[in-house]
Amino acid sequence: MGEYALLYILFAPFAGALGLIFVSNRQPLLVRSIAASAACVSLVASLYIFYAYDPAKGGFQFVQRFEWSRQLGISLYLGVDGIGTPLVLASSILLFAGIFVSWHIKDRTKEFYIWLLILAAATIGVFMSLDLFFLYFFYEMSVIPMYLLLGMWGSHTKKYLEMTDPEGLKRRDSVGFILNFGSNSKEYAAMKLVLFLSAFAVVALMGILLIYKYSGLNTFDILVLREQANFMNIPVLGTTLDKIIWVLVFFGFASIAPLWPLHSWSPVGHAAAPAATSMLHAGVLMKLGHFSIIRVAFEILPETTRELMPIAAVLCMFSIIYGGFVAFYAKDTKYVIGYSSSSHMGYVFLGMAALNYISVSGAVIYMFAHAMATGMLFAMAGWVYDQTHSRDIPSLGGLSNKMPFISACFIVACMASIGMPGTVNFIAEILIIVGSWNKYPVQVIVAMLGIVLTLAYLFKMMRGLFYGPMNQKYSHAHDAISTVDRLPLLIMVAVSVGFGIFPMHLYDVVRSGVDPLVSRITRVVPVAEAGEELGVRGKATTSEKTSASLSVHKPISYTSQVLREGRE
Amino acid sequence: MTFSLNMTVSDLLLLLPEIFLTCWLCVVLIVDFSLPRLPKERLAYLSVAGLVVTLGCLGWFDLNHISGTLFGNMFVLDRMAIFFKVVILGATILVILASIEYVNRFTLFRGEYYCLVVMAALGMMFMASANDLLSVFVSLEFATLGFYVLVSYLRDDLASNEGGLKFFILGVFAAGLLAYGISLVYGETGKLVFSDMTSAQATPGLVIGFLLIFASLGFKIGAVPFHAWIPDTYHGAPTPVTTFLSIAPKAAAFAILLRIFLVALVTFKPLWVSLLVAVSILSMTYGNIVAIAQRNIKRLLAYSGIAQVGNVLIGLAAGTKMGSDAILFYLLAYLFANIGAFAVVIAVSQAIGRDEIEDYRGLNRRSPFLAFAMLLFLLSLAGVPPLAGFIGKLYIFVAAIKEGLYTLIAVGLINIVISMYYYLIVVKQMYINEPVDPSPIGISGPMKAVIYIGLAGTLVIGIYPQPFTDWVVSATLMFANFVGPSATVIPPGPPLGG
Repeated sequence: MGEYALLYILFAPFAGALGLIFVSNRQPLLVRSIAASAACVSLVASLYIFYAYDPAKGGFQFVQRFEWSRQLGISLYLGVDGIGTPLVLASSILLFAGIFVSWHIKDRTKEFYIWLLILAAATIGVFMSLDLFFLYFFYEMSVIPMYLLLGMWGSHTKKYLEMTDPEGLKRRDSVGFILNFGSNSKEYAAMKLVLFLSAFAVVALMGILLIYKYSGLNTFDILVLREQANFMNIPVLGTTLDKIIWVLVFFGFASIAPLWPLHSWSPVGHAAAPAATSMLHAGVLMKLGHFSIIRVAFEILPETTRELMPIAAVLCMFSIIYGGFVAFYAKDTKYVIGYSSSSHMGYVFLGMAALNYISVSGAVIYMFAHAMATGMLFAMAGWVYDQTHSRDIPSLGGLSNKMPFISACFIVACMASIGMPGTVNFIAEILIIVGSWNKYPVQVIVAMLGIVLTLAYLFKMMRGLFYGPMNQKYSHAHDAISTVDRLPLLIMVAVSVGFGIFPMHLYDVVRSGVDPLVSRITRVVPVAEAGEELGVRGKATTSEKTSASLSVHKPISYTSQVLREGRE
Repeated sequence: MTFSLNMTVSDLLLLLPEIFLTCWLCVVLIVDFSLPRLPKERLAYLSVAGLVVTLGCLGWFDLNHISGTLFGNMFVLDRMAIFFKVVILGATILVILASIEYVNRFTLFRGEYYCLVVMAALGMMFMASANDLLSVFVSLEFATLGFYVLVSYLRDDLASNEGGLKFFILGVFAAGLLAYGISLVYGETGKLVFSDMTSAQATPGLVIGFLLIFASLGFKIGAVPFHAWIPDTYHGAPTPVTTFLSIAPKAAAFAILLRIFLVALVTFKPLWVSLLVAVSILSMTYGNIVAIAQRNIKRLLAYSGIAQVGNVLIGLAAGTKMGSDAILFYLLAYLFANIGAFAVVIAVSQAIGRDEIEDYRGLNRRSPFLAFAMLLFLLSLAGVPPLAGFIGKLYIFVAAIKEGLYTLIAVGLINIVISMYYYLIVVKQMYINEPVDPSPIGISGPMKAVIYIGLAGTLVIGIYPQPFTDWVVSATLMFANFVGPSATVIPPGPPLGG
């Protein structure tokens, strides 16, 4: 099975969705078990690739290639490197957990699982695409299932019903609906999410098309483009082409990440979505942004990346602080977690912006770690909502009597989210902070402040939900007792803590993907600095190369030292 | 294979599909009035049988690379003509299958309906083969004549009559423009066959003549600013006729436009690119923005059709071999998605009796199949992967970016987002809102077949487009002689079907 593992991971959910079409909604158990077994195949295969991935060899492994369109130069080209592997694993863990989290959905169960499987499969597809066309293909494909999941199984926020005017329903169906910014309906959230993401996706598509045209290679193959394409020094509109492409690609994909000024769709979407969708959405869908920026901008335009990445370093501060403060004042559990996610994604941008081995590795591990932590939080917010039909923190309280298991897991999830030692988030955070300190000290201080903020709003939410006097209205609420209910939480806790204690394989895998990338970005000498003579440029390149290869080994020992200290 | 200019029996082979269909049309007509007791749906199946045989004949031509010209270059049968004839015949078959139930609404002349549909198809087949301006005029009028009657077929319905009248007046006006344009062009160049005009000089008379011809073809495809008849006619016409009108005449007119722009006017490319860019931007933007405000699904699809034509025009503005491939591919994708969407509209209106978007409330609960099919068709029209429409749009954008039409592409990309909004509004009604009347909706057999064919086409072209791109690339090989080589060389694929 080895070499076809990626195909199993990608197509098992699609096959499951296809199979579900032929099953009746009257057999809910059959529906759920088909979905669960499809996700299980995916999970097992991604565990296999995670452990079979050879960090010593590095590069893209498990490569599969099928020609798809000769005329357009497209092939279904799949492969994972050290960056894609953990994210594929995270996606399939969250899909598997998400299926159990939504076990009790009664309305149109079959359709729910079909769209959930398609959403997860599309996300996984992005993480393993080595072809720009298919990267965009899967990226765009992941947006539409979100619309249906939010719209059909989502929930309005609490204020929504109070805000409805007598003729509210009619007005929301009209043209004015899209401009109805006060509305917190799920329809509004779903439409905003889709339009926002599609609008920025076409921006990225414009960048991709420009790459396709100016490379002149008639191919969408990322590996060929990164070796052969040259976009430097083509003057366009008073700047150079590579900068335009980079900006289009970066902001196109940063919208889903979500970077600060482009984040507004995300918390609204989280709040409206059902639990499993929020998990996938915050857990992996948001990482599509970072991942695609790494795949497209970092791989194909390394020199421009080094020049323009400070943009991200500036914006990420706003992400961290703004998201943190809004999360602190938010009253809705899902808003808190949603804004916390968008705040935490700022750390990933910080790690990526610092552009050295440690910080970029930290960013990649953070994506994995955050997927688990936020997945847990959303799963439990979903559980509380299912039991109490309320997400309003002030009206809840004292639930730890009723649900001891959930509140215990919630503490673990909070710890993970904050980055307590012992969870994989700690490793990621420390790598980002250590790695970025030299280049961006101000941002690191902001990030530290962000951690304090995280502590504040998560503890505030925990107190509001689980401690204090209990509202008697919710006395019927009960704990997660059955295996089905506990399994997803246990899996995510186990992964989070397990990799926190034994991070070395994860770290090695990530490093094997990050090292060649960062050395490509730092090694290339910009033409302006290299002088006129070719000889100078060549000399500089070789000396840089040696120093780069030296520095590959140094930080590993350094970080493992940090890790060891951290554990003690 | 060479053909002499003298008519021989073997030359008539090229006309075989048209000759056969004409005979078949007479057979259907004779059967209709000689067996008045015969259920009219038998006539539908009889017409479909004839169309399928014609389709098979064209397929045989394509596989054996039979091609040539007739009547002193007036009629050409090349692979592109075969492609368009296949599209037109496919559309006709699907439309006839989709109308079987609907025809019961007509009070009179139910049998003649099928004859008129086949007659319009016959006219459009000649349009696909028209190779000089006279045959363009004759075949275009021949095809439109059938539609004038079909649009106003609901005799007691005011909207249908109004639509028919608007269509007729503007259609006749367009015909006048066309005739005037042809006379100007003939007066300037003394030539009528497209391939003879390549050496013409851009005199004012010639430019005006071609502008008039473009305007009248613009009426047929419904591009802005020649779109005025579209919404009312689409709204008023019987829905199967709207379906037919929304794809077949557009495809046939694009066959003529391709021959005019890429053969006759290829030397004037710098002159006409900006014209096409302007028309394309206007069509896309106007169609999409006005579609947002629609409350009737037929009007919504009419405006979305205007926008789709704008998209196709991007490929024409590229003016390359690849652009023409993209146009053919897009029309193929559009055929399945559009006919599928209209088939759902027909099925719903059979059950509910109205076509307002509000009537789609909770369709998912009433008929999950119809809602799912409509969802896929609308998303394909919007251009969402992995559906055919996405590949079509991307193909067109790639063809255009190779020619450096950045503004046009930027506008096209923005329009994808705008169009997504109103398609999703329909999706919202179907999936998110709860039905007022939860009774299930039944679908008849032929209608199901149409929807299944539409779904199959939309999904297969989207997921595995290679055979279809091979087909369109080989269908437009003739343009490689006229249009300069594109920015990149296209590696030759194996000929389709050997």
